[in-house]
Amino acid sequence: MTSFVCRLPWRLVMPLASVVFIAGCRTSPPAPTISAPAPHTEPAAHPPSQTPPAPSRPEPVAAQADVPADRRVLLVQDGKESWVDAGSATGAGYTIVDLSDAWTPFIFAEHQGPEGQPLHNRYRRVFVGLANDRLDEDGEPLPEGEKNYLELYGIPPSLSVLRARFLRDADRSCHDGTSREVLEAVESVSYVEPSRIRAEEEKTARLQAELEKAARKHNVATLDELAERQPDLAAKVKLAQKRTAERAALAAVEHRLTCEGFLEDKPNSKSGHKKGSYDDALRLAVKGFQQKHMIYESNYLRKATVEALARSTLENDLLALKRVLRERIVDAAGVLEDGSANTSKGPPQFPSAAGTKLPVPNLADDLTDLTTKSLGIDTIEGALSFFRRHDTASPLRVAVRLPALPEYYKPHMELSIVIDRGDVWYGLPFDADGKPVPQPRKKFPSFTLYVNQKGQRVPLVRWRTTVGGWRAEQASDGYEYYRYKGSDVGPRVIRNVVAGPVWIAPESTPIRGLVKTKRVFGRSQLVVNYDELGPGFLSAYGLVAGYFVVPGKDGRPDWDNGIRAHGSSEYLSMYSASGFSHGCHRLPNHLAIRLYSFILRHRNMRVAGDQAMDFSRQFLKGNDVYEMRLPSRGFRYQLEPPLPVDVLEGEIKGEQKTPITTYVPMPHVVYPGPPPALPNSSEGRAGGGAGTTASPDEGGAP
Amino acid sequence: MIKSSSRFAGPIILALSVLAAWFAKPGAAQTPAAPNESESDNVTITFATVPPVRAQVWWGRKRLGMIKERRTLVIERPRDSGPLDVTVTAQGFLPVHTRAYTFNDYRLTVKLTPEAEKQTLFGYRAPVPDAGANPDAL
Repeated sequence: MTSFVCRLPWRLVMPLASVVFIAGCRTSPPAPTISAPAPHTEPAAHPPSQTPPAPSRPEPVAAQADVPADRRVLLVQDGKESWVDAGSATGAGYTIVDLSDAWTPFIFAEHQGPEGQPLHNRYRRVFVGLANDRLDEDGEPLPEGEKNYLELYGIPPSLSVLRARFLRDADRSCHDGTSREVLEAVESVSYVEPSRIRAEEEKTARLQAELEKAARKHNVATLDELAERQPDLAAKVKLAQKRTAERAALAAVEHRLTCEGFLEDKPNSKSGHKKGSYDDALRLAVKGFQQKHMIYESNYLRKATVEALARSTLENDLLALKRVLRERIVDAAGVLEDGSANTSKGPPQFPSAAGTKLPVPNLADDLTDLTTKSLGIDTIEGALSFFRRHDTASPLRVAVRLPALPEYYKPHMELSIVIDRGDVWYGLPFDADGKPVPQPRKKFPSFTLYVNQKGQRVPLVRWRTTVGGWRAEQASDGYEYYRYKGSDVGPRVIRNVVAGPVWIAPESTPIRGLVKTKRVFGRSQLVVNYDELGPGFLSAYGLVAGYFVVPGKDGRPDWDNGIRAHGSSEYLSMYSASGFSHGCHRLPNHLAIRLYSFILRHRNMRVAGDQAMDFSRQFLKGNDVYEMRLPSRGFRYQLEPPLPVDVLEGEIKGEQKTPITTYVPMPHVVYPGPPPALPNSSEGRAGGGAGTTASPDEGGAP
Repeated sequence: MIKSSSRFAGPIILALSVLAAWFAKPGAAQTPAAPNESESDNVTITFATVPPVRAQVWWGRKRLGMIKERRTLVIERPRDSGPLDVTVTAQGFLPVHTRAYTFNDYRLTVKLTPEAEKQTLFGYRAPVPDAGANPDAL
């Protein structure tokens, strides 16, 4: 998939957005302002320790065998399960965690308008269908037996999907007698291009023969002894041992991936995988495995991937269950803290009412541990037993006694975001001959959410994010050039949060990324690449986006330069040293979902609902016309007041101290003439230049 | 689900008598109704072209039906059952690949471009002049 990001729909989007937003407000009665209370409202300080806080003593809740299914929740007390009334449980201070298959995070939840009318979110059905392996990314039925494996992209599997995994894997480990050991013996498996395998094998054989000869000469039995006796051969011994171990590990990987259904069980077939070769078939299998197990690595056999391959299927299932429950619990409890704001000195501290400093807890982990333990599903045996007792296809909610939240939790929290751009290079990334110029970064961009507690800014989470850089852009002459797409610096606000956002590709988007091959009713054909446009987990704006604007004043509208902080499936752009966006600040989808669900639940906001529109635009590729059609911009929430954001400049590296604001021809490309001027439109300026006004119903102007 | 069709067990043609040209302005007046306005299990998708010529609508290998000159093609689909990636073809015009939605009743008016006017479309790429070529050579 083409690397993507935040590109600005300027020329077309802003007028449309204005119309859509205005229309949304004028045609519907005012949407409700929701001052979302925290799930539990009794503030209390956590003890200043690293151990998870213990829940307070639970109030007794009477078991009721005859509670209707839609009102009952499962409660585990002293190891005994009972069904109780949900209202009684919440009244007694329990938190209800939804384990049903129809669960979505808060941003995709069903809402109602002020008169009780449902406010449908178009993406909710698709989210649920994807989580249950029933629908594909377009919302069309998934072929029988296919799996989505989208946890890596922000859509965790449903409990029923996990239950099926547990029950199936109870009878298979996908390890043979030695595969676990040989995988544990390597940290990674070196990639060898399929075309070089034979040469590498010959090289390894020569090395092996040389070492065996030396061993005989020195009368030693093993290579280790040889390395000890002849230190000058130690490096060669190490290499030979590494190659041998990797060969065995690769065979174990093939076995494992075949067992899990990622690799076709037809070795050396024409369309399949050639044994011992890291070919496309194996790469795709590894990719599928990484998606299934939420491994943020490129599609090679690196450390985390090899570690996961060495675990048993049930061990991986238990980790998946804990990850899935974490999203449910974080959502149910309305918390965000995940330990990411910790430094080498430990967790950040916040001032308490008592005048003491207390550590910011890792609530995501603490509450997950507490919940899994209290439900008895923190072990493989416990989880298997739970899934054998409960068919999660029927609505299942559990009542959990969670500890009180830190005292900075309030119905309307004083939150703010700071983005540090880290090390920034404005110079060209290649020289006059087109050779790459190194632009190393030591400090990478970071995204921090703060809460103001008694006058002190306390970081709750700090995550890696992206800033803009050099990107390919299609100019008015139909040719692609490089253009610096920077990230704005300075104070901004987020007024609108859009769940299931749609990115309207500007005309500067290279057309090659706007089409894809799709099987349509028995025929493989090119179609518009809606994966990129959204709504969807692969879209340029991910599953949710917060729109940065400079707030308007004196009756003038907000100033929107198209920068967003949004979810993204392009995790390598966030976690690799060479990753950039088109100016936006990307977060992994699951973190973006947590972030905005948290913000919306702890700030006053209005549910504006679906932002219907009817956008269409045609473009030519080959001799066919492709037409983008977008019926909605997504499901909008409006923060009232907006959330403050500050983007720090970071450290400008290299001699070029300001962004280059012209198109730059790509090396080795023949153009019909000099580069055209940058488009003088809001769309064209997007990503670092001047901005444009946001929809007029959103406030004044700068 | 496509209700009725003559030959393809696909589309049900509900109406063929609406003048396409009246509403056939691309991008205009196609905003769907609010999703809660209709409780019907099905939605209707109305296809039209500009100019209003005779055209075929394909869904992969399946022909959904024909848009007769100055008419529309109307089909039914289950509500919220996913989009349809369709191709509209007409004699003398470039094929158009577009999408219809099933979230609400949906009208899809497709602008057709004559084959001879492809240079008017966004994305058309003029060829690079060949600096080494002899312009007089045949």
